[in-house]
Amino acid sequence: MAGLLLSPTEKVFILHGVQDDYRSDGRSNIDYRPMELETDVVSHASGSARLRLANTDILVGVKTEIDVPKPDKPDCGKLEFFVDCSANATPEFEGRGGEQLANSISNMMQKAYHSSQAFNLKQLCIFEGKQCWKLYIDILILECGGNLCDAVSLAVKAALFNTRIPFVKAALMDGGNIDLQLSDDPYDSKLLDVGSAPLLVTLCKIGDKCVVDPSAEEENCSVISLIVGLTGDRKYYYPKDADKQQSVESKCTTIGMNGPGSVAPKTLKDAINQGIVAAKSLDEALGQALLKERQQNIGIKKHSYGFLK
Amino acid sequence: MPLDYRRFNGPDDSVSYKRFTDNYLKSYDELYEELIDKNSRRKDGRKLDEARSMCMFFARTDLISQAKGSAYIELKKTKVVCSVFDPREIPHQNEFSQLGQLYCEVKFAPFSCVRQRRPHAPDAEERALSVALRQALEPAVCRHLFPNYQVDVFVYILEHDGACLAAAINAAGLALANASVPMYDIITACSLAIIGEKVFVDPTEAEEHLAIMSPDTEGTNHGIITMSMMSELKQVSDFMQIGSMDVQCVTKVMEILEKECETIVPNIQKVLVLNVVQCFNQRKQLEAEAKEREAALNAKMEEWKKILNAG
Amino acid sequence: MAEIYKLIHPLKYFTDYISREVRPDGRKFDEQRNIKLNVNSLKTAEASAVVKCGNTTVVCGIQLELATPKAEEPDLGYLVTNLELPALCSPKYRPGPPSDHAQVTNYLVSDIITNSKCINLKDLCIVPDKLAWVLYCDIVCLDNDGSLVDACIIALMASLKTLCLPSVTYDNDTEDIKVNADIRTPLKVHGLPVATSFAVYKLPDRNILLTDPSAYEEEMCGGIGANFIVCSNEGLLCGTQKFGGSNLLSDSQEESLKISRDRTNVVKKVIETSIKNDNEFVS
Repeated sequence: MAGLLLSPTEKVFILHGVQDDYRSDGRSNIDYRPMELETDVVSHASGSARLRLANTDILVGVKTEIDVPKPDKPDCGKLEFFVDCSANATPEFEGRGGEQLANSISNMMQKAYHSSQAFNLKQLCIFEGKQCWKLYIDILILECGGNLCDAVSLAVKAALFNTRIPFVKAALMDGGNIDLQLSDDPYDSKLLDVGSAPLLVTLCKIGDKCVVDPSAEEENCSVISLIVGLTGDRKYYYPKDADKQQSVESKCTTIGMNGPGSVAPKTLKDAINQGIVAAKSLDEALGQALLKERQQNIGIKKHSYGFLK
Repeated sequence: MPLDYRRFNGPDDSVSYKRFTDNYLKSYDELYEELIDKNSRRKDGRKLDEARSMCMFFARTDLISQAKGSAYIELKKTKVVCSVFDPREIPHQNEFSQLGQLYCEVKFAPFSCVRQRRPHAPDAEERALSVALRQALEPAVCRHLFPNYQVDVFVYILEHDGACLAAAINAAGLALANASVPMYDIITACSLAIIGEKVFVDPTEAEEHLAIMSPDTEGTNHGIITMSMMSELKQVSDFMQIGSMDVQCVTKVMEILEKECETIVPNIQKVLVLNVVQCFNQRKQLEAEAKEREAALNAKMEEWKKILNAG
Repeated sequence: MAEIYKLIHPLKYFTDYISREVRPDGRKFDEQRNIKLNVNSLKTAEASAVVKCGNTTVVCGIQLELATPKAEEPDLGYLVTNLELPALCSPKYRPGPPSDHAQVTNYLVSDIITNSKCINLKDLCIVPDKLAWVLYCDIVCLDNDGSLVDACIIALMASLKTLCLPSVTYDNDTEDIKVNADIRTPLKVHGLPVATSFAVYKLPDRNILLTDPSAYEEEMCGGIGANFIVCSNEGLLCGTQKFGGSNLLSDSQEESLKISRDRTNVVKKVIETSIKNDNEFVS
């Protein structure tokens, strides 16, 4: 993105396009660029996913560990996000350059997953007040081509969907110690309920309208972007018991702003509403893709594409 | 965690004594009942939609003699100090930057929180607050007037009783104005907590704590929103939300926040006007003194002239 | 006019004042700045104090924690004092880890408290080898306008004097700890250490001792911080420190001891009055 210079006329061209809901690459204001998603790419991790959105390349691995729950939340597990901006991703990340960005992304994810309505930490409990699972979610940014937050949230949700947690039997022994018994069968594991896990949508303000997934040129025209975290809908991920539950409205779990500019209150409201529409279609697409991949996995040994493609 | 050799460290296994008191763990409902009494008044006597900006608000400038500009804001128990220093060259940067930069740092005093002792090294929350503060201030400052320079804004939270980001933004806006950094507009901020149907404007720490705790019942709204505004320009410079709430709720409370941000403006203006009046009086006094000295000197000169002429 | 003179000829400007037996802020050489003290103004800390000596502002807050005592000293508790000099208190400090000067001052404050023996660490032990109090005394400087150590010691002593420890019951068999925060006993404080800072300025013919120097005076006397610090506890000397600057004559040393004795009385009165006021305010 460095050295991208746009003339005022080009900027006006882009701005007019956004105003008429028709962008220079043919998308509408809430369309994403094509993505590639693959799960279960790292064999050592409990769950993993790799996502490529235009030039942005992200690898997410989930590790599980047994830990002691916090004293004020005895029945909840723990979730920790760690973002690593590889120096290969963009020249700006050399040295400690990517640290601030990495911090802000992990912060955003932590906030988005904070509420139990986004991700229920009680499913990570082993024995109340004594033992729980702690999930380390390591996010590796391999290549940075813009729109990182959205891509990271998609990849994290896919990786969590793919995560298997071994069954553990816990029994209280004398003296308050806990005895843990792990099954010998490595396939004896459970999947997590991640249907409501949030997706982040970045809305870039251009003129009075906002666009999702901006290209580098569009990013150049904008001084401020809004990041909205919205909960997903379980029916896209667990279609079998879809009839049991009514469709839930997606909820905001986090909102933040990024960039040196400011917005009018009305634009802010419109942007949030626009984000919901975008998040819904994104959530549906992700759910379908993940289910399809899981079904293929059951039948034959999957042909892994890895990074070769 | 690596040991910090630059400070004195206590034992590793020390825990706050509050963990061993009887009422350490309280259920959600118990905590909720503590917040509101039967007349739907809050613990400190406020109504739900009543902010501390009216009668529990105190602000002043020029607290820190060594700083270029400084401010102190008190929202009942929340106490925040902010200081702004002269612009200096941006460290470790080779390129020319067209716009000046703001460097913001928010720090909690080790004894500022009820629930835990704050570490000396900056933690994740402090870093997030620093970023949010910069985001809120940047649009309000005329950054093109000091290219290649950075202005340092330091905020220290002495006591945290809710709405500390809002207080920090208010204090920083005041301190920037006090340091005569050119700005487009007065910047104000307000926060509110949402628990179910109830909206707590300008929440206390206990209310915030409950608002980010997830309720047992599925689907209820909860969370905290902080918004900072430039009221004259009608622009939102920062919007932070955490928790889980539907969109109707967000848009509804935005109007409350907008109104609340506007009500703080006269408070800030009053402090700034007072500041100018004081400055003016001081200068007047200095001028009067200078004039007096000059008159005395002139008189002496006349005397000498007379002596010279005579001699 | 005077401001420009100060900028162009900083040394001459200062010497002009000193040779006329007055300091730039109008004080006499041995005159101290006013002390303002407010105790228990922070509710999140167990005990706290805010001190202003002239412009120098220092806040001290104490927090209580429980821990097992060290194996080699099973009957002692912990007193952990830390002085924080955040970047906001003076343009000399930068954000980040504490500077050398901050570390030195931190050690100094801690040394004064330990040497004066005003707190018996045995009082902080609850059950030997099992449980002891940890007193985290965090001192924060909000405005550093010279004589920092003096203000720190006042703030720390004032808050220690108001500190009350909750009652603790420890069950030897089950290792259960119960704390009752409603029943509290005041901490025993022996004596009252007071520090007095001086700056030494060298005139061609003699050396001048400036009591309670401001940040500007400290700088002119060639040190980051005061040149000479005398601490005494109830008339007993418990430490003197001399940092850089000019040499000190023995007769001015005696003078400094006299000044510090006088100051002890002033500080004592200030602390007692403000604690009394606070108690009246509560009741």
